[in-house]
Order: sequence, then structure tokens, then C-alpha cells
Amino acid sequence: MILFFRDVMKRAFHNMHGNLFPNLITIGVIGISMLIFSAFSLIAFNLSAFLKIWEDKIEVLAYLKRETPLTEVEALLKKVRLLEGVEKVNYVSPFDAMAFMENRLGSQRNLLEGIKPAILPPSFEIQVRKDYRNTTRINEVVSRLKQFSQIEEIQYGQEWVETFSVLLHILRPTQWILGGVLLIAMIFLVSLTLQLTISSRWEEIEIMKMMGASPAFIQIPFYIEGMVQGLIGGGLAVLLLLLLHQVFFLNIPLPIQTWLAEIPILFLPWKTILWMILGAIFLGFFGSFVASVRFLKYRG
Amino acid sequence: MIQMSHVCKIYGNQIYALSDITFEVSPGEFVFITGPGGSGKTTLLRILFCVERPTEGEAVVNDFHITQAGFKKIHLLRRTIGIVFQDVKLLRDRTVAENIAFALEVTGHRPGEIKRKVSEILGQVGLQQRERDSILALSAGERQRVAIARALVNDPPLLLADEPTGNLDAEMTADVMRIFMDLHCKGTTILFATHDAGLVRQYPHRALWISEGRMREEGVANEVKREG
Repeated sequence: MILFFRDVMKRAFHNMHGNLFPNLITIGVIGISMLIFSAFSLIAFNLSAFLKIWEDKIEVLAYLKRETPLTEVEALLKKVRLLEGVEKVNYVSPFDAMAFMENRLGSQRNLLEGIKPAILPPSFEIQVRKDYRNTTRINEVVSRLKQFSQIEEIQYGQEWVETFSVLLHILRPTQWILGGVLLIAMIFLVSLTLQLTISSRWEEIEIMKMMGASPAFIQIPFYIEGMVQGLIGGGLAVLLLLLLHQVFFLNIPLPIQTWLAEIPILFLPWKTILWMILGAIFLGFFGSFVASVRFLKYRG
Repeated sequence: MIQMSHVCKIYGNQIYALSDITFEVSPGEFVFITGPGGSGKTTLLRILFCVERPTEGEAVVNDFHITQAGFKKIHLLRRTIGIVFQDVKLLRDRTVAENIAFALEVTGHRPGEIKRKVSEILGQVGLQQRERDSILALSAGERQRVAIARALVNDPPLLLADEPTGNLDAEMTADVMRIFMDLHCKGTTILFATHDAGLVRQYPHRALWISEGRMREEGVANEVKREG
């Protein structure tokens, strides 16, 4: 068994060395395809992470009508706290709102001179439960809040959430469609390269068959060749992506860096990288399998 | 060892390469298959070697039913058959010893065993001195001897030869035939296809005469009257 495996490995590397050019082309194509796919995955992953951070911060601001009497506010607060999906509700009076604005303006608070707190509407700061922090479920809470006549306006950053959700919904299928197209292209190319290798060794393969070599003895070196191509191509793609990620991250203009302060630009998790490389190895194997079914089988 | 019963091989639209071929070969026999070019000799050998399947009829070689056997078992049949072609089919980028060793490597023999067997078989075909020579440095007759050595190195009980002397002059043909006769004397079953009726008549072995895919005559070789 060890002897068989050693011989098979030796022949696989001998094949690769003897057909260096087609092998390099295949590795390059696998590398580029995997780079495109992993770049899309990286963008989707970062957008997902960003959306998650953003969703965690989502809260609903319900502005009450200015003329709402305090007694009604009290009753309304109780009702809102009991709504499904609501975790915590804070009442923000016009005075609290004014204090908040003064605090935010800091040294420029004199801008607020002459403005009476009464012009600011009272509001509820509503924190929703974690499972409600997405566009679909937050809308359920919002539509319930809209049923209260004392509430004049509701804000929850819906545009941002919706834009990101839409973007993510487009990106994810695009990533998989692109992945599928690249997958077919990679299988085709690996299979094509192996056909070239097979045709350059046709005489030897025919003699092997003539001498009664087992199908495994003939086919396994080609499978290994495909898998090695996948491993090298996939590995190179990840390395290149890491390099691009580093270059991109280190060269972000300062204003954007400040804006992104709370949002780290992440690299793919090691588990995803591992799956990608394993995927590339599998593609290499599958491409060689397709070629071997067509050209290496015993026929009679 | 070989049983063929009403074997037909039809290509495409009713082109009969072989038609109703029936014969048997017992272990240890030497049988010539003779007939003009295109008569179906090679097709017959290809069926016995399981490169082709009969369209009709039954073919059994070394207890292996060619008509029914799955593709995954073809290599097991081929390990029991040695085959020699007119065009030798040797690897030109390898030496004499490497070409013979290749047949052992692909069937999983150990390096020590390979070395011993290669040396033995080279002795049998008289090529000990050319062991390390490139195939390209050999004469046509020597190449054919290497091909015979390669076919025999796995000790197959059956040897198929398809026009092995087709490219050789009289002297080289005599050399190669001597090796075949020696093998026959040692008990190897040999099926020898040739168009050369003159060659067939020199030996007192059984001969099957094939023409246009049909078996026309069967008898002792030196009594077959037809001209090739």
C-alpha cells in the first residue's frame, strides 16, 4: 500500500513536472477564479458584519405630539413597554432633549439661546429585543406604535437598514451565482489541462492498460495532479486576497478611517479560508475526475 | 484456454469484421491465425485481449467471459495475457530494462523483484548486454525481442502476437520465431497472427485461415495451401 502510494505520488509529480506549462496555466486560472470568488465573499462578509453591528445599535424613536398631557404619556409608556419585541423604553421629555442637544453642541451651546424646550417634542427611546433588530421584525413594532394616536412620528434609521439589507440580498446570490459560474469554468479548465497531460502521455497510458495496470494505478496520479493544482491555486488566491486586503486597509484615506473607526474591515475567518482551499482542492479533483472518466477508463 | 463460439463483430451499418468464428485453443498449444491483410486477424486478437467486445457470440479467455465482463475487471484478464504487436509499442524515452520493468511496476511488483525478473527475461531473449541501451539504439529485431520480453515478464499463460515479424527481415524473423518456439516448448500458449503464409508453412502447428472475417480453413500449418 505504501509502495503503491509512493509510486502514485511520484508519478503525479513527474506528470506535473513534465507538463509544467499547462499546469501553471490551470493553477493561474484556479487562482484568479478563487480570488474573484473570495473577494466577493470578503465584501459580503464585511457588509454582513457591518449590518450586524449597525443592527445591534438599532433603536426606535417615537416622537409624541407636543400637546400630549403627562397623564396620557404615563399610560402610553406602560402600553409601549408591554408591546411584543420591546425590551426597554425611556421617556425623553422636552427638557431632557434640550439638555442632550446642549451636551452635543458643547462649546457651541449658545446657538440654542432663546430657544425654549417646549418647542422640542417629547419622545420615547425604544430598544427592541435582539431578534427584532432587522427590517422585517422592526416594522412589526413600528406598525404597532403607529396605532397610538399620541405618536406623531417614528424614526428608526429604516433607510440605512433597508439599503444595506437590499445590498446584502443582491450580493449574496451574486456571490453564489458567480461562484457557480467560476466553479464550472474551473472544472472545465482543470479537465482540459489534464486532457493535455493525458494526451502527452497517451502512449504510456495505453501501455499501462495493455500490461494490466489497475484503473486506480492509472487514474489516481491524475486525481492527485488536479488536487495539487487546486491546493496551489486556492492557496495563492487567499494569499493574494490577504495582500490586497492589507494594502487596501493600510491606504484608506484619513476621513474614511475616522468614519470607519467603529467598523473594522475584517479578513475572512480562518474556517472560511479553510473551506475555500478545500473547495479548490475538490474542484481540482473533480476536474481531473471528469477528464479521467472520458479518457482513462478501460473500454472494450 | 480460449473458447470462441459463433463470434461476430459488426461495425457501424452492417460491416462484418468477423462473422461466425468458432474455435478453441487448449493450454500449451501454438496456433497460427493467418489470412490476408484486413481479413479480421487483428479484430480477433483485440476481442481476445478485451479491447473490443463481440457483437454476437461468446468468447472466453482464461475463464474470463469477455462478452459479460465489466470494465473494472479487464485489467485482471490482461495480467494473464502477454501481447506483442508489429509496431512494438515501446516507450522510446526509456532504456531496454526500463521498458520491461514498466510492465512489472504497473502490476505492483517490488523493486528487488523487478530487477531480478528483468535480468532473467533479458537472458531469455538474449539482450543482457543491451539492458541499459536506449530503445532508439536497437535494431527492429532487437526491439521486437524487447517487446516479447515485456509481454512475458509477468509470466502470462497466454501470449498473443499480432504480426510480430511483419517489419523484420528473414534473419530477424528467424530469431524472433526461435524465441516463440522456445516459449511454446516451455508450455506457454501462443496465438500468432500473421499474413505470411510462407512463414506459417514452416512450422507444424495448428493454423486457422481467416478471410473476409470468416474462418475458411483449419488444419496443421504446413499443410495449409492458401497463399497470403
